[in-house]
Amino acid sequence: MPRNIAAVCALAALLGSAWAAKVAVYPYDGAALLAGQRFDLRIEASELKGNLKAYRITLDGQPLAGLEQTAQGAGQAEWTLRGAFLRPGSHTLEVSLTDDAGESRKSVRWEARQNLRLPRAAKNVILFIGDGMGWNTLNAARIIAKGFNPENGMPNGNLEIESGYGGMATVTTGSFDSFIADSANSASSIMTGQKVQVNALNVYPSNLKDTLAYPRIETLAEMLKRVRGASIGVVTTTFGTDATPASLNAHTRRRGDYQAIADMYFGRGGFGVPLDVMLFGGSRDFIPQSTPGSRRKDSTDWIAESQKLGYTFVSTRSELLAAKPTDKLFGLFNIDNFPSYLDRAVWKRPEMLGSFTDMPYLWEMTQKAVEALSRNDKGFFLMVEGGMVDKYEHPLDWPRALWDVLELDRAVAWAKGYAASHPDTLVIVTADHAHSISVFGGYDYSKQGREGVGVYEAAKFPTYGDKKDANGFPLPDTTRGIAVGFGATPDYCETYRGREVYKDPTISDGKGGYVANPEVCKEPGAFQRTGNLPVDSAQGVHTADPMPLFAFGVGSQFFNGLIDQTEIFFRMAQALGFNPHLEKP
Amino acid sequence: MKRLRTLAHWGLLAWIGGIALLGLAQSPLEFGELYSKITVRGVEFSPKLQALNGKSVRMTGWMAPPLKPKLDFFVLTKAPLATCPFCSTAADWPPDIVLVIMPPGRTAEPTTKRIQVTGRLEVGVKEDASTGFVSLVRIYAERVEEAR
Repeated sequence: MPRNIAAVCALAALLGSAWAAKVAVYPYDGAALLAGQRFDLRIEASELKGNLKAYRITLDGQPLAGLEQTAQGAGQAEWTLRGAFLRPGSHTLEVSLTDDAGESRKSVRWEARQNLRLPRAAKNVILFIGDGMGWNTLNAARIIAKGFNPENGMPNGNLEIESGYGGMATVTTGSFDSFIADSANSASSIMTGQKVQVNALNVYPSNLKDTLAYPRIETLAEMLKRVRGASIGVVTTTFGTDATPASLNAHTRRRGDYQAIADMYFGRGGFGVPLDVMLFGGSRDFIPQSTPGSRRKDSTDWIAESQKLGYTFVSTRSELLAAKPTDKLFGLFNIDNFPSYLDRAVWKRPEMLGSFTDMPYLWEMTQKAVEALSRNDKGFFLMVEGGMVDKYEHPLDWPRALWDVLELDRAVAWAKGYAASHPDTLVIVTADHAHSISVFGGYDYSKQGREGVGVYEAAKFPTYGDKKDANGFPLPDTTRGIAVGFGATPDYCETYRGREVYKDPTISDGKGGYVANPEVCKEPGAFQRTGNLPVDSAQGVHTADPMPLFAFGVGSQFFNGLIDQTEIFFRMAQALGFNPHLEKP
Repeated sequence: MKRLRTLAHWGLLAWIGGIALLGLAQSPLEFGELYSKITVRGVEFSPKLQALNGKSVRMTGWMAPPLKPKLDFFVLTKAPLATCPFCSTAADWPPDIVLVIMPPGRTAEPTTKRIQVTGRLEVGVKEDASTGFVSLVRIYAERVEEAR
């Protein structure tokens, strides 16, 4: 008899679960937030049977007020509470729904963290993100920049990124919906402490059709501006509305909402907090549709509008260096991405530069941004992205990618100097995800193709730096280089060499697949490699490999060990002694 | 007298048509000749491009990864091109591209080979109603063939 009762109970439980409505709650179960951090709370019920007869939504046992109820379709119901926040501590949100099939329940737990008031807290944060700059990328850049002493095999030194730090960590990455991160969700995790979907910026998942209406999560930059009145800015070598810069204050399910992201930078949409300093490429999202080259679908002219809003506008290196910025600075230096450092500083090929022959270096933009932002005595948050590292790792163009790491390193050197003379400044250097790049040998440039690769002792030591460019950087042209490859590739032709005029590794086969670029395959020594990615992959891809993190200045001791990318957000808040629920705007 | 002028008119047209058939009236146009400059404030069409607006031109390039399987139009690029789906949700097109529109009822075969396009040039910002694709320079193709 007891066995029969157990069987009936098990059957009832099974049927109960089969009939129950599905309930999703955001913030998701297990989310950690900063106490006082704003977010849009959203509850979505689907597969409701018949009518929704009753519901009860409680936070820590108390009915939750202010919920807006909607329905996206038959058998669905949603509740939204925009601009919610939590007090410090553990919280439980419970949802109980009754439909024709009975009651469905869902319970999630959240942790709202608060920070100790520090005797010495950071007021300013400069966050460097080398896009795609995993440990191996950084390692390859150091080998090029510093090399080894051939007398004893000792390395000649470290990059600026790797020297004189007060904290160092290895960072694991991932997305809400995949263990491989993309730039949008990884940067969002760093800025909000939440896991975010691939291609999404600072929003939780939802069943909404409008990508801009998704439940938003407040970023650290937005909070610092809202609560402390700090200034916020972004500097990058990519087009300005790209994922990493957009992680400062953009909120959308689709990182490709470029026009809306450009508008959010000026305080339109999102939570409405504008950026004070913007220096980047990609003017096509800021000029009106009627102008040839624009990517906008309306007549907004942000170059003209920005000046009415009090921004100093600059469009060349000369203008930037001559500018005496007030607290608002807006610079557009290319219609699209910057060409790589090697294109701008070394090769200077007209095919790569076009009319853009007067562009600033990343370290110059960083310095100018800090000059403008530091006019605000309430502090600042600046993100500096070495954005083209990733964009050249994707097509396996490692020389362009690695020299852009060196450009980032020079910018970090400047920021370290700033932090040394401004002891209220925290400098962090990290990445958003890695690529499958690896240095596995030396390369003898007097030979061609595979014949030039030397492994183990045959690799000898690279001779980069025997010739230097005007900035004192090693030239790529040397007798002994490094042999570099990628673990994840499409079919492509390998030559082990860079090329002054960029070429894609693959071209479309016209049927949804990609084949090795025949122009590359014709180069001396080129040999075809069979890829290991699906044939519809045109390029290399991000990896699950961990990333480096180095911290300098006040609060840098909070960054250590093996941490998840979401933890970077909480450690920055810790270093800032930041408690948005306590500090009154 | 009027009849004579009309005949002369038709004769002139026939003469132009003859040259067009021989391929002599098609001006060759290079990718590097499309724009006089590209600045942060936008793209400036070159005097040569503007002078050829409405005329028959010949361009050589590569077919970009097609946006749809049936190619009643495609994008002609200066160099072989692959898009990067994970870098960005929108294709990062280079600025120097030309939209090629096939004659009504005709389609092009997807190809990875270098191609030559002959047709009427149209210059100016135009949005395709069905795809939302915005183009600056278009060729209404008469012929699409493998380049020699």
